[in-house]
Amino acid sequence: MALGMILLATCTLRRQAAAPIQPIAFSHKTHAGTYGIPCLYCHVYARRSTVAGVPSVQACFNCHKVIGLDQPEVLKVLNHWNKKEPIPWIKVHDLPDFVYFSHKRHVLKGVVCQTCHGTVQRMERVRRVSSLEMGWCVDCHIERGASRDCPVCHK
Amino acid sequence: MDGGIHRRDFLKFVAASGMAAACDMASQPPERLISSVLPPPEGIIPGVATWYATACRECPAGCGMLVRTREGRAVKAEGNPQHPINQGRLCAMGQASLQGLYNPDRIRQPWMRDRSGRLQPISWERAEQILARRIAALRKEGKAAGITFLTGHLPGSFDRFIDLWLGALGSTRRFVQEAFSHEALLEASRLAFGRPEVPHYVFEEARYLVNFGADFLGSWLSPVGHARAFGEMRRCREGGVGRFVHIEPRLSLTGANADQWIPIRPGTEGMMALGMAREVLALRAAALPADEVATLQAFLAAYDPESVSRRTEVPADTIRQLAREFAQAAPSLALGGGTALLSRSSTATLVAIHLLNYVAGNLGKTVRFGPAENVGRISPYRALRSLAAEMARGEVPLLLVHGANPVFTLPPSTGFPAALARVPFVVSFSSFPDETALRAHLVLPDHTGFEGWGDLESRTGVYSLMQPVMQPLFDTKATGDVLLSVARQVDPNLASPFRWASFPEYLQESWREIQQRMAPGEDVETFWEEALRRGGAWYEVAAEEVRLSPEALRIPFEEPTFSGAAPEGFYLIAYPSTLLFDGRGTNKPWLQEVSDPMTKVVWNAWVEIHPQAADRLGIAQGDLVAVTSPYGRIELPAYLSTGVRPDVVAIPIGQGHEAYGRYAAGRGASPLPLLPPEPEEPSGGFPWLSVRVTLARTGRRAPLVILQGSSRQFDRGFAQAIPLAELRALQGTRRRAEGVPSGAAPRPGLPSLPDIYEPHPHPEHRWGMAIDLQRCTGCAACMVACYAENNLPAVGEEECARGREMSWIFIERYHGETMIASREGMSAGQRPDPPTLPGGVQHPDVRFLPMLCQHCDNAPCEPVCPVYATYHNDEGLNIQIYNRCVGTRYCSNNCPYKVRRFNWFDSTWADPLPLQLNPDVSVRSAGVMEKCTFCIQRIRDAKDRAKDEERWVRDGEVAPACVQTCPTGALVFGDLKDPQSQVSQLRRDPRGYHVLFGLNTHSAITYLKKIQL
Repeated sequence: MALGMILLATCTLRRQAAAPIQPIAFSHKTHAGTYGIPCLYCHVYARRSTVAGVPSVQACFNCHKVIGLDQPEVLKVLNHWNKKEPIPWIKVHDLPDFVYFSHKRHVLKGVVCQTCHGTVQRMERVRRVSSLEMGWCVDCHIERGASRDCPVCHK
Repeated sequence: MDGGIHRRDFLKFVAASGMAAACDMASQPPERLISSVLPPPEGIIPGVATWYATACRECPAGCGMLVRTREGRAVKAEGNPQHPINQGRLCAMGQASLQGLYNPDRIRQPWMRDRSGRLQPISWERAEQILARRIAALRKEGKAAGITFLTGHLPGSFDRFIDLWLGALGSTRRFVQEAFSHEALLEASRLAFGRPEVPHYVFEEARYLVNFGADFLGSWLSPVGHARAFGEMRRCREGGVGRFVHIEPRLSLTGANADQWIPIRPGTEGMMALGMAREVLALRAAALPADEVATLQAFLAAYDPESVSRRTEVPADTIRQLAREFAQAAPSLALGGGTALLSRSSTATLVAIHLLNYVAGNLGKTVRFGPAENVGRISPYRALRSLAAEMARGEVPLLLVHGANPVFTLPPSTGFPAALARVPFVVSFSSFPDETALRAHLVLPDHTGFEGWGDLESRTGVYSLMQPVMQPLFDTKATGDVLLSVARQVDPNLASPFRWASFPEYLQESWREIQQRMAPGEDVETFWEEALRRGGAWYEVAAEEVRLSPEALRIPFEEPTFSGAAPEGFYLIAYPSTLLFDGRGTNKPWLQEVSDPMTKVVWNAWVEIHPQAADRLGIAQGDLVAVTSPYGRIELPAYLSTGVRPDVVAIPIGQGHEAYGRYAAGRGASPLPLLPPEPEEPSGGFPWLSVRVTLARTGRRAPLVILQGSSRQFDRGFAQAIPLAELRALQGTRRRAEGVPSGAAPRPGLPSLPDIYEPHPHPEHRWGMAIDLQRCTGCAACMVACYAENNLPAVGEEECARGREMSWIFIERYHGETMIASREGMSAGQRPDPPTLPGGVQHPDVRFLPMLCQHCDNAPCEPVCPVYATYHNDEGLNIQIYNRCVGTRYCSNNCPYKVRRFNWFDSTWADPLPLQLNPDVSVRSAGVMEKCTFCIQRIRDAKDRAKDEERWVRDGEVAPACVQTCPTGALVFGDLKDPQSQVSQLRRDPRGYHVLFGLNTHSAITYLKKIQL
C-alpha cells in the first residue's frame, strides 16, 4: 500500500513535469512554426547520434546578435553568451537511465520528429505529449515491424 | 573568435556539466539537458565516441593506447592496433590507467607546507614564485650546482627538457629511478658484446625458450609485447609448438605457462647456463669460428654437467637433455632477468646466458641488438644510493621529484626516507599523495598522461606521441610549463635558451627533428598531424651483428653470497606483483579487486611458503607470520604453495603503502625493508635475491581473501589438456574425414546428446566465443577490461570475502593433481614429498580458465526466472533485463558455471570515478542480477555502423572488451552462423570442448584444450 502511494506520487511528479517552465521562454512556435526553421537546423545531431543535440549558446547568438534585440527573453540569451554560461534547459523528454534510445536510427528510418514529440511547431512552451512509457514504444514497434528484442533499448 | 573563447573550451564546459550531472545523481528531477556555450569542435558529436591515440605511462614498456572519449571525458583505454609494441593489446595495468586519471585521491591543486608542517593548498602563481625564489637564492649562494632532479623513466622530449632546464640553472644532477631496472643486463651485454643495451627478444621466432627467472609475461620489460609474441610462439601450427622451459626457484605467472619448471637452487642460474653452453658448444662447434671454439671450450671446461648438477640441484641428465634440445631447435632463445635472478652474481649470470645464446647461434635471430629496449637512461641503483648518502650529509639543497616514489620503491636500508628529511627543500610533481609527495615541502601536481602532452621513445625507432584526450580535471599544470615559468622568474636572461612559449611547443620542435630523421621530404605539419592520428611514428630497426668480446670469458661464474641466517633461513624472493607492479597500481580499486593470477588473493599481500616448511614451523594458511632478515622485520599472512622450493619464501612487491590514497594505505606489507643496501658488483644494480630470512609464528591469524575455493577440478574436466601426440593423431583423422562432404557431421570430440527442446532458430547471427587455453597466460587483462567497459563496481575486501565480487569474467586457476597433493586435505604426517617428475624437475601443470557467461542455447538460468528477466534472444545471447529483474537469484542457483552476480548494494563510486562510467551501459542497482552480456553495447554499435553503411557485420568487427585486450589473442569472438568466421573455424578445432558438456547446455563458448608437450 505504502509502496503504491510512493509509486503514484512519483508518477504524478513525472506528469507534472510534462511542460516545465524553462529558464528562457523559448518559443518553438515562433522558430519552427512562424519562421519555419527546420528541426535539424538547431538539433544538429539527430541524424548522426543517439542524441538530437541542444543548440549551443553560440548557435542562438549567431542570429540573435542582430535579431530580436528588443525582446527581454532574447536579452537573457545574450546575457548567457556574455557570461559564457550554458543555459540550464530543463529536460522535457526524459527517459530512465536504463533505456537507450537512438535518434539516428529513428530519423534515418523516416520517423518524423512529431511522431514522438508532437506538433512542437505549434507549441509556445514545449509539452510532452507522449507517455514515453515502454508500452507506448512497443506499440509503435509492433505497428512498424521493428525489433522487440529487449537489448534493442536495454543494455 | 568572439569573446576570446575558443572552440576547444567546449570540452571544459561539457566536462564540468558532466561532472555536475554525475555528482547530482541523488537529487532526481528536474533533469537538466547538457548544453554548451560553444558547439563542439569539428568531428566531435555528442552521443558518439571520439578516439584519441596516445601512449600508456603505467610502466616503462611504452605501449600505444587509444582512448575512447564521450562528451569530453575519457571512458575506456584500449591498445593501439597500429603500435608496433603492443599491437592493439593492453595489460591489466594499462586497462586500469583511467582509475589513475579519475582517482578520488588525486592532488587537485598545488600544496605548500605551512609553519605547522601541514600541506596546505596555495595558488599556482604563489607556488611558482616560491620555487623561483628558492632557486634564485641558491644561485646567489653559489649552490645551484647541487639542485637535484629525480624522475621516473620517461624517455623522450620531457626527459631532454629537464636536462636542459637543469643545465641552464648550472646543475647536471639528474637521476632517473625505476624500481625494476636492468643494470646487470646492460653490463652483461657490454661485457659480452661491447653493447650496453637490453636487446630485443623475438619470441615469435623461437622454437625453444629457456627462461631464467624473467617474469616476461607479468612484469618484466615489455609484458604485453612479449605476451603477444609468446602467443605466436605457442600457437599450435604445422611445424609444432614452441617449447618453453622455465628455470626459477619460484613458479611465477610466467613459469605457470611453461611446459617444464625447474626449481633451481637460488642464485645458481649462471652455472646452469654455462653447463648448457658447454653441451651446446659440443654439438654446434662446427658452426662457430675455430679459434673462438677453442677459447670457449677452455672457458667452459669446468662446467661439466655433473659439477653443475651438484651446485644447481638440477640432474645432470636434464642439463644434457635441455642443451641438446636447445641446440637442435634453431633458433632457440635463452633469456634471464627479473628479481628472482638478480643475486649478487647477476652480471656473471647474465653474461653466461648471453654466452648460451651465442653458442646456440641465436644472436641476430631471436636476440637482436640494434632495436634495443630504451632503458639505458635509468640511473643505476648505486647512483641512487650515493644520492641518499649525499642527501643525508646535507649536500643536496633542493630536490625535485617527478614520476617516482623513491620513499616506497627504494629499500629503506638505503636510508632514503631519513635522508629526504635532511634536504632543506623538496618539490614533488606527483599527481597522487604518495609517500614521497607527502614528505615534500612543495607539491606541484602534474597532469596525468591523459591530460598532458608528451612523447616516449620506449624502443629504438619507436616514438609514441601523447596528447591530451580531455581537459584537465583539476587545477593541475604540466610540469614542463611550470619549469618554463619558474626559469623565467628566476632570471629573464636564463630563459633565453628556452625560446618556447610552452612545453608543447618544445615537443613539436623535437618532433621536427624526428621528422628530419624519418621523413626528411615530408611536410612538417602533415608529419605531426599523422603522428597525432596514429599515436606516433616508428620505423624498422635492423638487427646489428655483434661479436663476442673476449672480456666475456674473463668473468667466471661464482656462486652469490646471501646475507642472513644460514642454513635454517629461507632464500627470500621479492617479486613484482602482476597487477600492482612496483606498488603504483595499488591506488586503483580494479587492480586491488581483480585477484592475483597465481594465488587469487585480493586486496592484500602474503608470504608464499612451501607446505613442508610450513609444517615444520607449525604454520597454517592464513597465519600471520613474522619474516625477519638482518635488515628488517615484516608481518604477513602465510600462503602455502608448492610453487616455491621448500628452502624459499616469496613475497609480492606492491602493497604495504603508508600513504598513496584510500585504496592503497595500510594494506599488507612490502618486502623491501628486508633487503640489503649494497649494490651488486660490477653492474651497480640492486641485488633483489640476496637475503635469507627466518619465519616465526606470531600466534595471530590474518586470513587471506582468496576468490577461488579449490585448485582441484574434481575430475569434472573444466580446464582440459591434450598431449601433443594425441592431438596430432586427431588432426590426422580429421584431415582424412574432411575429404567426405558432411554438412551435418557432429562436432569432432563432442558427441551430441539427445535434446527435448526445439533448437533456437538464430535467423541472422549467433554470437559465440572461442578461448584457447594454450594461449591464455592468466594475466587478468580481460578481467580489468570488463570492469572498465561494463561499469562493474569494486566491492572491497570484506564483501569479496563474502563472495560478493562482481566480476563478469573470472580466470579460474587450476593445478594439476601433482601440485595440489601436498597442499590440500592431508594432515602434516600424511603429506607426501613435493611431487616431482624424475630428478627434481616438475611439470607445473597450471591451467588458466577464463570463465564467463556461456550464453547457452539451453540455458539453465532461463526457465527458472519467474519474471522472464533472462531469456535467449535471436542472436544467441542470454539476455539479462535489469529493469525487469526482481532479484530472486533462482537463475544464479541454477547456473552450473556460477557466473551470475547479484547486486547486494547500490554501487558507489567515489567522486570523480563516476566520470569513467560507460554511458552505453546501465549502472545496475541493488537487488538486480547481472552477468556477462558479450558486451552487447559493442555488438549493437557494430550493427549500427553496418546498417549505416548498408552492409553485414564483418568478422572480427565486434570484439567484447575482454577479447579486444587479450595480449595473446587467446579469446576470439564472432558469428557462429558464418561458417568462415574465425570463431566458427576454431569451434571445429579438434581441441575444442565445452565446459560441463554433459549438462547439454549448448554453450556458445568453445574452449580449446591446452597442449601438453
